[in-house]
Amino acid sequence: MSTIVIGLSLSFLLFLLAAGLTLIFGMLGVINFAHGALYMLGAYVCYQIVHWTGSFWIGLAFAPLVVAALGAAMEVITLRPVYNRDHIYQLLLTFGFILVIEESVRLIWGLDYKQVPTPALFSQPIALFGSQIPSYRLFIIGFGALVSVLLFLLLDRSRLGMVIRAASSDSEMAQTLGVDVSKVRTAVFALGSGLAALGGVVAAPLVPIELGMGFSVIIDCFVVVIIGGLGNIKGAIFAALLLGMARAAGFTYAPEWVELITFVLLIATLMTRPAGLFSRKGRAA
Amino acid sequence: MSMFRLDQVLMSTAIAAMIVFAAVSKSEESLNLISLILIWGLFAIGFDLIFGMAGMLSFGHAAMFGAGGYALALLAPQLGFVPSLLVAAVAGAVLAFLLSVFALRVSGLFFSLLTLALAQLVYILASTKLRAFTGGLDGIPGVLRPALFGVDFFNNRNYFYFLVVVFVIGVAIMAVLRVSPFGSALKAVQANDVRAEQIGYHVQRLRQCAFMISGAYAGVSGALLASLMFYVSPQMLHWSTSGDVLIMTLLGGKGTLLGPVLGVAVFEVLKEELSQFTEHWYGILGIVFILCTIFLPKGIAGLFAVFGRIGKGASK
Repeated sequence: MSTIVIGLSLSFLLFLLAAGLTLIFGMLGVINFAHGALYMLGAYVCYQIVHWTGSFWIGLAFAPLVVAALGAAMEVITLRPVYNRDHIYQLLLTFGFILVIEESVRLIWGLDYKQVPTPALFSQPIALFGSQIPSYRLFIIGFGALVSVLLFLLLDRSRLGMVIRAASSDSEMAQTLGVDVSKVRTAVFALGSGLAALGGVVAAPLVPIELGMGFSVIIDCFVVVIIGGLGNIKGAIFAALLLGMARAAGFTYAPEWVELITFVLLIATLMTRPAGLFSRKGRAA
Repeated sequence: MSMFRLDQVLMSTAIAAMIVFAAVSKSEESLNLISLILIWGLFAIGFDLIFGMAGMLSFGHAAMFGAGGYALALLAPQLGFVPSLLVAAVAGAVLAFLLSVFALRVSGLFFSLLTLALAQLVYILASTKLRAFTGGLDGIPGVLRPALFGVDFFNNRNYFYFLVVVFVIGVAIMAVLRVSPFGSALKAVQANDVRAEQIGYHVQRLRQCAFMISGAYAGVSGALLASLMFYVSPQMLHWSTSGDVLIMTLLGGKGTLLGPVLGVAVFEVLKEELSQFTEHWYGILGIVFILCTIFLPKGIAGLFAVFGRIGKGASK
């Protein structure tokens, strides 16, 4: 039972991250290498807010906003001038962000591990189906599900979502119809950065907060979007579930090999369905 | 064409001047710095074959670089240095082949993601599962230097001359490759892979060959670095190694033969100078990298091309 809960909580965490990555890709056509760094930054900002105010919930509310604002600034200052160039240059820029963000974090918070305590509300384990379940994991599942539903409503039902989808599928046409595409791009980059930071905040009480945390998670995140098909949010949900559950099962039954499970899944997918499990057409990004 | 030649001449002169400077200077630091530049320069030249010529952005070159280092560290005591150096090249090429079997199933940005993920797999394997061979995170100390003609290569100055010879051979081979039909075919693939396929090139095989040659360069340079440091560790396999060679190549100018070497030189000198007054030099390097990506997409070689044009205008 606890394997399932851990797997589901891991899946939702991965989904929050992959959703941001895939949104940005859909709109900007760029894979944001700095996504893991933004995730890490979210966790650090949350730590700082908890340190000041003592409340995890304030951190949960504000850290993603801070990082989203930073994401918007990064997009306007650096990415906007190079959209008309080859996509490789945008990828390179996001790689440059990693260096700057990591170094700034080291400058501000130093190299020590930081810890965010589990919020008091969810610090006690709950007995469920005869086993002790850490209740914070249940919170992640509930919160992740809530954010996913909100995200779907935003993209599928709202006017902003319609504009985003229109600008993603044909930015020139959307521009002609009076959509300010460069504002939409900034908004989407901010939203994606915010989602990355949200993932970092939610993960903060579970893991030691340190510089390397972004990179280990970004690899899993890339694997999720490759398996799910990039730009495909529904695919990302299934891929996140697959990877999250596989990792949780790995922790329980074969902890020695858990680091390799991600890669086995990746390679198996590529050998059988190179375009991702949920993509119909071939892929040329 | 003559303009093209002029900036080539300027760049080769700059590199030659650097080598001569190291040879006549008495300072051990500059000798060490320029040895590093030659080694990483070889790495970057090989990296640019796929990045600049074939338009493939690999984030996995650390894997081949490290594989070369480990190959030399493990085999040099049995096989001798120069044969092991050749084995390091083969190891790089074979590993590149293995990665390409998976990574070339996708193209464009996905190729970058996959090479990154696969190189990370190699890193994890080397630091945990293969500990018996690789020494895990501790690495392998005491990597050998060459033993040739009775010269003492444990002397850094003599080893530097060995590096110069390998470097010049590497550059010469790459210069030939770039102007060969193979090089033109790679350019065609970069410009338009669908069209290249239609006029009869086997695009995937070309990409695979280029990736393997690039891997061989990475293997040799990794082996040379291990020998310079007397040490090899998983740090060479770390993704930041792949990132470093990318920064160097872009800084110097992708798609040019010698630009990447200049990029390496600027990178190493910046690192040397910046790290003297701040430990946060990597962040400053990040800012320099971002600025170069926006304002100087053709890198230092692009600047040389401008000088070349001015020079040509003046000679008229």
